[in-house]
Amino acid sequence: MAEDAFESEALSYIDALYRTALRMTRSEADAEDLVQETYVRALRFREQFTPGTNLKAWLFRILTNTFINAYRKRARQPQTAELDDVDEFSLYRRMSRDTPGSNNADPEQEFLDGIVSSEVKEALAALPEKFRTTVLLDVEGFSYKEIAEMVGVPIGTVMSRLHRGRRFLQRKLYEVARERGIAALRTSGPRPD
Amino acid sequence: MDCDDCLEKLYAFLDQELGSSERKQVASHLEGCTDCGDNLAFEERFLQVIRDCGTSDVAPAELRRRVAERLRSDVPPTTA
Repeated sequence: MAEDAFESEALSYIDALYRTALRMTRSEADAEDLVQETYVRALRFREQFTPGTNLKAWLFRILTNTFINAYRKRARQPQTAELDDVDEFSLYRRMSRDTPGSNNADPEQEFLDGIVSSEVKEALAALPEKFRTTVLLDVEGFSYKEIAEMVGVPIGTVMSRLHRGRRFLQRKLYEVARERGIAALRTSGPRPD
Repeated sequence: MDCDDCLEKLYAFLDQELGSSERKQVASHLEGCTDCGDNLAFEERFLQVIRDCGTSDVAPAELRRRVAERLRSDVPPTTA
């Protein structure tokens, strides 16, 4: 790969690297440091990158390793969130159960339409760290195999973490929606004129 | 394949991570099961919302400028 091509392609991933770093560290300052450190290492070890292979995945592997080694210990942790009971949580089932005979023809779509970007970002940041990295890498479009290599776990573990992480997001967003009232359709009757 | 088997493989199906044999089995079940089909459609839309919202941030302009400069100069980092 020509030097200019390496550098311009590497720079094209800065948005993806930054938003992932931001949710990993939960701090704008730490995220900026982490991204800069990722590029410094990428340049330092660029001889190890095989031209023609996946540069985005290579950069994300450096980001993930740097986070695990240097930042994780001091990353601000959310309130301890137990995932023991999220396995069985299915938003689809919950919506079906909560909205029997709803006046709304499509309560699931209403729920999805009501989700705002900031709520998703908060839910992603609230994931326990073990699950969060896997979910964030999935959001950025990496395959199970690529995530397994980056995080250093078997593919089965990636699948399990994704399953539980997604169910955690569903429960979190459902709770937010209930607070907003959008999902509280069980108690809602026809609107007065 | 019954509904439990199908639901267990739903995410791997959506993520296009199943082998061709398992993929066919799930697809075949989905053709004949409205409930699993609706569940799949919901999960698919949910994941799309997560991806759309989760990938909307951009890096601060100042960070982009600093990194671009570092990439252009490719100077070994100081160890200050």
